[in-house]
Amino acid sequence: MLIRLEDIRRYYTVGTEVVHALNGVSFEITKGEWVAIIGQSGSGKSTLMNVLGCLDTPTSGRYWLNGKDVSGMVDNELADIRNREIGFIFQTFQLLPRETALGNVELPLIYRGLRARDRRERARAALDQVGLANRVTHRPNELSGGQRQRVAIARALVTEPSLLLADEPTGNLDSATGQEIIGLFEQLHRAGHTICLVTHEPTLAARCPRAIRLSDGVIVNDGPGRDVALENRAERARAAAT
Amino acid sequence: MSLRVDLLEGGRIAVRTLGVNRLRTVLTLTAIGIGVATLLAILGIIQGLNGAFARQLASLGTASLNIARRPYVVTGDWWKYRNRKQLTLAQMHGLMQQSRLATAVTPEVNEDSRELTSGDQSVSAVDLVGTMADFQKIWGYEVPKGRFLTDADSESERQVMVIGSDVADQLFGPRNPVGETVRLDNRPYRVVGVLAKKGQILGQSMDLVALIPFNTFLQIYGKRDFQIDVATDDADQLDQLEDEVTGIMRRVRSVPPGEPDDFSVNRTQQIAETYKQLTSALYGVALGVGLITLLVGGIGIMNIMLVSVRERTREIGIRRALGARRRTIVVQFLLEASLVSAVGGAIGTAIGLGTAKVVSLVTSLAAAVQPLTVLGGILFAAAVGLIFGIWPAARAAQLDPVEALRYE
Repeated sequence: MLIRLEDIRRYYTVGTEVVHALNGVSFEITKGEWVAIIGQSGSGKSTLMNVLGCLDTPTSGRYWLNGKDVSGMVDNELADIRNREIGFIFQTFQLLPRETALGNVELPLIYRGLRARDRRERARAALDQVGLANRVTHRPNELSGGQRQRVAIARALVTEPSLLLADEPTGNLDSATGQEIIGLFEQLHRAGHTICLVTHEPTLAARCPRAIRLSDGVIVNDGPGRDVALENRAERARAAAT
Repeated sequence: MSLRVDLLEGGRIAVRTLGVNRLRTVLTLTAIGIGVATLLAILGIIQGLNGAFARQLASLGTASLNIARRPYVVTGDWWKYRNRKQLTLAQMHGLMQQSRLATAVTPEVNEDSRELTSGDQSVSAVDLVGTMADFQKIWGYEVPKGRFLTDADSESERQVMVIGSDVADQLFGPRNPVGETVRLDNRPYRVVGVLAKKGQILGQSMDLVALIPFNTFLQIYGKRDFQIDVATDDADQLDQLEDEVTGIMRRVRSVPPGEPDDFSVNRTQQIAETYKQLTSALYGVALGVGLITLLVGGIGIMNIMLVSVRERTREIGIRRALGARRRTIVVQFLLEASLVSAVGGAIGTAIGLGTAKVVSLVTSLAAAVQPLTVLGGILFAAAVGLIFGIWPAARAAQLDPVEALRYE
């Protein structure tokens, strides 16, 4: 079992009102699974993604990641968990504009304390893996959107994390480029990576073997991607059309 | 992750950031640079002053005492000294006969700001001294041309004069003044000797002097208060000399036992102490000015670092998401702040040293800076950056990674 969530709750206080962003979420993800987390905006999927990525700590409940109980960890420990166990892929890529593609991919290895030569070697290999071997010295503003997302994926892969956590990875891309990126995810899935993909696009979630639907901070459906993502006829028709 | 990695990576980022925000870097550098420059220029001038003063004080003759009605440095009840009895030549002779330690005793009487002329040349602001032969020994004068005054000159009230090197230069230029005639207050004096150059103390020439025989002085300017200079051969015996002289003077002036002295025994050391008090006040002011400037620079750094943190909120979020600890972020911003300050400090040091040098060339003030001061200037500036960088760095580290990643 790679991920185990037990009655995870996350409450925010906004003014005098308490917002129940997650209201008792429990599920498990096995190693090698590709799971989509879907839901309307405000359903709690972003909060869940932050909890899964150890960027946020739940108000209550327990979270085991790769055998470690991370729900009680302090800030420094969480930073190390993020560095070792999680590869983030964001909608807005989140690359450092002043660094080259190579520099961006090297970044998590710096925080792991690797020597410069080892970092460079591994970063090159990761860029090669996403098909950017010839864009190593380019800065983000010299790359297309798809290429930037590939750099971000290389950065996520370079630490060999146990979980790839993608937040709307195709949200800022045109549909053709989005398809390429999803193709890359399929490759990574086949290679044995565990992927958790947060999205609001049913057609995207439908391509995942498993999907979890959130609504108002609780899981309302958990099953094969097609069944969970395409709940009504209209969605099914739209999926068929693409 | 180790602190070493934090420092290496933080340093790399700091160097890069300096290059990216050039204008901002320059502005910050200027703020700190001005502070350090001010501090160093003033310190340099004071250090130079101290060195020059110490050297010249040493050349004044350290093994001598001065007996007068009042101390060198009068504080408080000045009127008390005015009511004291004047010194007399009889008392001086008593001192000469009874003292075993004194090897030179001479009277000294002064007039300020006299004008000397010779032909159509004149020189003003000359210190006129009436004295005798031992004056040369006590004050360590050398006479490369001609001779010094003799006691016979005084006894015979001869109108002869020994002049300082500045007086000689201004009146006679390259000519040899010995044997020439100088007029002072409408009386002619024959120059018998020229003193070797002594230089300056606190910007005042020690060579703008003219010495005439003691009795000649009294005869022309009337009887007046004078001082007695006493010297011994060994500077270590100065304390004993002071005790002995005090005892003799009390006897010859008939001071009853139990009464306080009605005269003062002065040392050149007292001048040094007054000087120290004076410069320590100056030091204080310089330090204050420099510190205020640095404070202003420090606040400038803090301001710029806060802007930098805000501008790079998203970068901080990215770094945190990828595994940077809070400490890593703190170190990164602290290094950035102290690096800017240190560079500013180095530039300020250069400007400060340059200023001190120019001052010493243009004015008569000597300036010197010790190597440690230079290192201190740079380190101090870096420390200022470090201190004023703490708050912005802490703010950067306290950012919530989720919020930071979302920041536009």
